[in-house]
Amino acid sequence: MSSVIQEVASTRRAAGERRKGDGRMAALFLAPWFAGLFLITAGPMAASLYLSFTDYDLLSSPTWVGLDNYVRMFEDPRLIQSLKVTFTYVFVSVPLQLAAALALALVLDKGMRGLAVYRSVYYLPSLLGGSVAIAILWRQIFGADGLVNQVLAFFGIEGTGWVSHPDYALNTLIILNVWTFGAPMVIFLAGLRQIPRMYYEAASIDGAGRLRQFWSITVPMLTPIVFFNLVLQLINAFQNFTQAFVVSGGNGGPADSTLLYTLYLYRKGFADLDMGYASAMAWFLLLIIGGMTLVNFLASKYWVHYDD
Amino acid sequence: MTDLATPSKVTFAEPASSPEGRASRAGRTVRRVRSTVASGLKHAGLVAFGFVMLYPLLWMLASSVKPNALIFREPGLIPTDVDLSNYTDGWSALLHPFSRYLLNSAIVVLGCVLGNLVSCSLAAYAFARLKFRGRNFWFAIMLMTIMLPIHVIIVPQYVMFSTLEWINTFLPLIVPKLLATDAFFIFLMVQFFRGIPRELDEAARIDGAGHLRIYWQIMMPLAVPALATTAIFTFIWAWNDFFSQLIFLTKPDMYTVPIALRTFVDSTGESSWGALFAMSIVSLIPVFLVFLFGQKYLVKGIATTGIK
Amino acid sequence: MRTSINQRGRRGAAVAAGAAATALILSACGGDSGAGGGGDVEAQDCPCEIRFAWWGSDERHAATQEIIDAFEAENPDITVVPDFTDWDGYWNKLSTAVAAGDTPDVMTQEERYVSDYATRGVLADLGGLDIDTSKIDGSILAGGQIDGTQYALPTGINAYAMVANPAVFEEAGVDLPDDTTWTWEDYVEIADEVSKGAGDGVWGTQDYGFNEAGLNILARQKGESLWTPDGELGVSEETVAEFFQTSLDLMHGGGQPDATRTIEYQHAGPEGSLVGTNVGGMSSFWSNQLGALSEASGEDIQLLRYPGESEFERTGMYYKPAMFYSVSASTEYPDAAAKFVDFLLNSEEAAKINLTDRGLPANTDMRDVIADELTDADQQVAEFMADLSDEIVDASTVPPNGSAEMQDIMERVNTEVIFERMTPQEAAEMFVKEVGAAIAG
Repeated sequence: MSSVIQEVASTRRAAGERRKGDGRMAALFLAPWFAGLFLITAGPMAASLYLSFTDYDLLSSPTWVGLDNYVRMFEDPRLIQSLKVTFTYVFVSVPLQLAAALALALVLDKGMRGLAVYRSVYYLPSLLGGSVAIAILWRQIFGADGLVNQVLAFFGIEGTGWVSHPDYALNTLIILNVWTFGAPMVIFLAGLRQIPRMYYEAASIDGAGRLRQFWSITVPMLTPIVFFNLVLQLINAFQNFTQAFVVSGGNGGPADSTLLYTLYLYRKGFADLDMGYASAMAWFLLLIIGGMTLVNFLASKYWVHYDD
Repeated sequence: MTDLATPSKVTFAEPASSPEGRASRAGRTVRRVRSTVASGLKHAGLVAFGFVMLYPLLWMLASSVKPNALIFREPGLIPTDVDLSNYTDGWSALLHPFSRYLLNSAIVVLGCVLGNLVSCSLAAYAFARLKFRGRNFWFAIMLMTIMLPIHVIIVPQYVMFSTLEWINTFLPLIVPKLLATDAFFIFLMVQFFRGIPRELDEAARIDGAGHLRIYWQIMMPLAVPALATTAIFTFIWAWNDFFSQLIFLTKPDMYTVPIALRTFVDSTGESSWGALFAMSIVSLIPVFLVFLFGQKYLVKGIATTGIK
Repeated sequence: MRTSINQRGRRGAAVAAGAAATALILSACGGDSGAGGGGDVEAQDCPCEIRFAWWGSDERHAATQEIIDAFEAENPDITVVPDFTDWDGYWNKLSTAVAAGDTPDVMTQEERYVSDYATRGVLADLGGLDIDTSKIDGSILAGGQIDGTQYALPTGINAYAMVANPAVFEEAGVDLPDDTTWTWEDYVEIADEVSKGAGDGVWGTQDYGFNEAGLNILARQKGESLWTPDGELGVSEETVAEFFQTSLDLMHGGGQPDATRTIEYQHAGPEGSLVGTNVGGMSSFWSNQLGALSEASGEDIQLLRYPGESEFERTGMYYKPAMFYSVSASTEYPDAAAKFVDFLLNSEEAAKINLTDRGLPANTDMRDVIADELTDADQQVAEFMADLSDEIVDASTVPPNGSAEMQDIMERVNTEVIFERMTPQEAAEMFVKEVGAAIAG
């Protein structure tokens, strides 16, 4: 504690020095994070990178195999299938989920009776997202004799077992992901409230209408949050695992139609005791996500507005 | 020393004034009728949508009062017979009463919330407001740490924590949060901090405030929505986190709610679905309350906190 | 500029710390490698604490804790720490703990993984420990032997069998088959008849194609077997194709539901299965699941021999070790661990608490001990198992390393068949190829 006070004092004294850069202050503020990075995160990450170059079954020592695991990946038809599934999943569900989240955040932001209840109710599915109960529930809704088909039958349409048909099972997973839009919705809500009211007041005085205010204040001021949600939901969706695991009974079925990349990786590592291969898959995924994120950041310069 | 905010800045912290007062006198009645109808429709839409969102919970609630054998035989929403024995049986079915697992989860979750609030906001302040060499580099590293699936990290982590003799304690679950390893929240707060007008800290700096004071007296109060988001998400995610708690907690007296819930079902043998649903409902209550209570901070943030 | 030097120094220290952590992790990842045979661990005397790991659901957890309490009462110097979770979580947790050299002293094993764990030196040679195995039948003991060494002791036995729901048969106006003589053709016919007789939404049977045990029975009837003693796939492509063809015929003839329903029922476990929810006449299950099925359906579910037992050159049914108890090769307390395993297998107290939860006890004396305490369903299982003993030709071979992938392959291949994206012949080719790759790697 006393060192913190000293830092404060010395920083004040060195007010001129601070103009050149805040290296020392940064080190102070980042100290917990650096400690976490080097003591907790870096070691296991480096270890997994090393293990990706080994044949490692978890039960005995890893043996160095060079690039073998990475080469095997390109000859693995299930891995290619899992990439297809994952890309479809990510690029369909993330935009839909964000659109739903933003739309509802805008509706629920304005003063209205029962807001707290609506917000909480809309968030509920996100609380259930990974529960084992979802497996049974999803069958009850999207099964051959499920709720959806009962509604369709009312209109004279004959459905199929959506959740267990290889052609449709992935769609039910996408719906599940969109349905749990609570997290981005909450972040949007917080973001909307972060926009200083003085901007709106100033705009009102200038005679700008609501729509004008929305496009010239709300939208630009919200872009950092939209950007955040986009980046994070992409990263999350690429690593999504629990929902597919629960709904498919653990194996990405039927016929690998819901074999998300991380689910396949998990099975390889723990069920098939091939952790070397799983580690290689993980680092390959990191490259994909990293590339995607980099593109996002580069593109953000053109549409994300920061107040600083 | 001096007041950090000038009176003129305080106005921006006032609650939003409702824009309705500007309606012209002539059209007021018509508009009021129209807006009542519109708001009625809006509520009807929100309620209908809310039912879709609530359906799973209602279904789970219904299933939790059915005898185990009827959950599959009569999967409908309305139970033919209400039987609370799933609650009483489920509560005491495991080695300890369920309250033990709730308590353990509460300890883990509170530690995580506290850790994330402090450590992530410190790191976020550095990334959002301080100039230092390698800022972009470290930011990229930070994002990278959340791009690797946990499944390949967990084994090296276990090895590390086992060497520290932290296995079967809450330390592997809490200490990483104290050290800001949840980069998701750093990024979240960076985005929010960057939305806070710079003029505020410029003014404070002219008054001679150091970064620690700016962080504590300007950023933190203004970022209440972001802090609330972090707290709520950390709470919910830590409450539901199955994988790492399963791996790091080995003795039943340390088990948490997600592990306890999972012990009701076993894919190779008999499962107590009724007890699972009943205890899932029980364990949802705290999370739901936290959200219901916490969500007002998401939106009240700037308006009520103000600056002193 | 002082700042940056200072910072660089700190950063250097941090990098060093990270590197040290990495080195430590890597050296420990192979932690168990030297432990093969348990030679390098010095055995300690008690008082001591040993950890016992198992999978299951709440009823087993409660029963096992009771057994532990009974053991501790008899052995006050040994404390047994329970470590339990469900099936999927169990194998994650166990492999992670083994990787860190933190193997539970006593653990539960299963035939799909026992060879993987044994051949990598994780499991102790139980022959060298003081555990009485004289009451366990030799052919059942063999299920826990790899290359002649006893790494695992069977907890009990199960048989993969057909179950029938008499209420559904009655509703359909069809008699229960005579399971000593029925052929595969009879099976298909009866299933079709039940479907027709019982009307909409009720089917004759649930698809057996997701589980390799049924395939193993057919293979054994034809003089083949799923695995050969030297760890190869022992079933021919023709047999595999025939196996899937029967399933497809049943679907086409209406004896079993369409593909999507088949998958839904498959994932619903015994409680949500066709037989368990009283909408199906027959289904394939392990004998120890009879209790769950009877309870879920509220009916007196019957165990039947698999079809075709008298159709070919020999019978195909077999006793499967339900699970195994194994001891860690690196335990500090091998004697305490052995004492506990011995208690689990041979004490009347443990047997009376456990009943048939871990299969019908492998210890034949214990079967008599628990006979009076069994539920009706379990009584039926015990009689059924006893009836089989004269018919079973030999034990099924221990699956080789990599066989854990079998279940996954089975499920994928069968899905391709029932959605008719592959012919049974193509499916058989895919099966042979994928299983070959799994056990080779």
